[in-house]
Amino acid sequence: MKTLNKEVLFGLYNDETELLSAIKQANDKHLEIMDVFTPFPVHGLDPLLGLKESRLHIAGFIYGATGTLIAFLFMTWVFVSDWPIIFGGKPFFAAPSFIPVTFEFTVLLSAIGMTVTFYTICGMGPGVVNPILDSRITDNKFCIAFDVTHGKENENDYRSFFTNTGASEVHSKNI
Amino acid sequence: MNNQFVFEKKQKTTLGIFMLVGVVCMILSYLMDDGTLHMRFWSNYLTNTVYFLGIAFIITFVLHAKVLMYSGWHVAFQRVWEAFSLFLIVGIILMIPIIAGIWGHFHHLYHWADKAAVASDVVLKGKSSFLNPVWYTAGTLIIVGVWYFFFAKRFRNLSVQEDKEFDPNYTLHKKIKVNAGVFLPIAAFTSAALIWLWIMSVDAHWYSTLYAWYATASWWVGSLALTILTLIYLKSKGYLDIVTTEHLHDLGKYMFAFTIFWTYLWFSQYMLIWYANIGEETTYFHVRMRKFPVLFYGNLVLNFVLPFIILMRNDTKRKYGTLILTSIIVFVGHWFDFFQMVRPGTWLSEIEHANHAAHATHASHAAEHAAPVLSKWGYPEGFVNGVSIPGLLEIGILLGFVGLFFWFVFMQLEKASLVPKNNPYLEETEHHHVM
Repeated sequence: MKTLNKEVLFGLYNDETELLSAIKQANDKHLEIMDVFTPFPVHGLDPLLGLKESRLHIAGFIYGATGTLIAFLFMTWVFVSDWPIIFGGKPFFAAPSFIPVTFEFTVLLSAIGMTVTFYTICGMGPGVVNPILDSRITDNKFCIAFDVTHGKENENDYRSFFTNTGASEVHSKNI
Repeated sequence: MNNQFVFEKKQKTTLGIFMLVGVVCMILSYLMDDGTLHMRFWSNYLTNTVYFLGIAFIITFVLHAKVLMYSGWHVAFQRVWEAFSLFLIVGIILMIPIIAGIWGHFHHLYHWADKAAVASDVVLKGKSSFLNPVWYTAGTLIIVGVWYFFFAKRFRNLSVQEDKEFDPNYTLHKKIKVNAGVFLPIAAFTSAALIWLWIMSVDAHWYSTLYAWYATASWWVGSLALTILTLIYLKSKGYLDIVTTEHLHDLGKYMFAFTIFWTYLWFSQYMLIWYANIGEETTYFHVRMRKFPVLFYGNLVLNFVLPFIILMRNDTKRKYGTLILTSIIVFVGHWFDFFQMVRPGTWLSEIEHANHAAHATHASHAAEHAAPVLSKWGYPEGFVNGVSIPGLLEIGILLGFVGLFFWFVFMQLEKASLVPKNNPYLEETEHHHVM
């Protein structure tokens, strides 16, 4: 199993309001948070962590537009110039009948494109093993993690931070 | 927080002027029409009545659906929607002249109402068990009456009653929920029947199974645009602090999503008819595309292209400027859509009426006389004000209806607190977050 060679100190919280107020305090004290793990998307978490708006939707738009063009132009080329056949008495360039396929191909390309992009950005995919700090963070616990590989001297700060903000458990783990 | 709406004198004056403009335009359109049937007046009257009555209906439907589906985010502006839904009663009153006209034959909106025409027309004869004055009258009065008295009005009463005292068991809310369960299926079926009677039967020979969906989607998108405009106006007046950008963002998303839904239905209806290529069906689109191109293509630009492009980005749904712009486009756009559904059909009715009159008076010289009548009452060539494009009178009449609608809505808003007090979802709507 591939390891990141990181020493991580993490605290578990019982609900998202505790988590959000803890992150606010960490920001005030300028403690550098490595990552936050929650079982479900928590509103207001991104701005607190200073995360920028995702650009995934821009990629999605480009994939979608590509799909629209490919499908429409391909069908036009096939039915108008490459192999013109009369279907149901319609003209060769029967644009309305191209629309459903164009629509579906747009959705298909943007969906597949965005999925692949998302997995690539997150470093996920078949054969990749992602270290997990505690299995309960996918269930009912909210986790704040600090990287203590190179900063053993801060560990006490982190531990007191966890006690002050009401973390229910504090653990450290090598990942 | 100011939760008590006051209907100011200035607003009354403005809305009064709107209504005055509307009445003047209606009178002008009645007098100026060169036909004998005053079709311009009647088709505008029908278009606007159906549009605003439909907005009131679809808001009633959505209010009940939201309650049944445990939705909480909309509670912040629920009172505005309640006020919209009560407009149903005005809608019934507005329908009365049209109903009276069917019985008294003083308008010719519906070709099926003409007994002589039905007798000589196989298609209309086949439909006459549904398309007849009795069904029209009973359908309109009973169905809209049920919507209003048993559901919209009752919803409002229970909701206002809830304000008075906090009840930990939420008995009143549960009553609304039971009501909602009863209303949704009733509304779904009855609204389709009324759409067939009110607008689809304007093209008496033609029918489409998608039509009811399509018209309902049009109402819904139009009412969303109107909701956004009302909310932003009320906020600018210092009311409804509880409605935040998050609520408007969700309404914007709704508008964006249902714009696409509307287009999907529009396209499905168009493509199936285009593909099957059956004369009885294609005539509807043939006439609109060839003779009413502004209505046909303008409809798509206003209701699909513009809102789709403008609302695609995230931040355009969160900024007042773009929201107001799109809402105005979409609100006018769906009015335009109804105009497009009604006007070519009433024009056709006028032609059929003229032809029929010619046949009746000169039965022996039918062939001779049919031709000149047709040339007088042919389809519009180029752009004809009030027929193939909406003219100033049409816009004036729309303004009049907007004035009437908001006069009524503001009157209702004044009667209760702008924010419901003991609604179980109040806490949720206060903390509504989209991102």
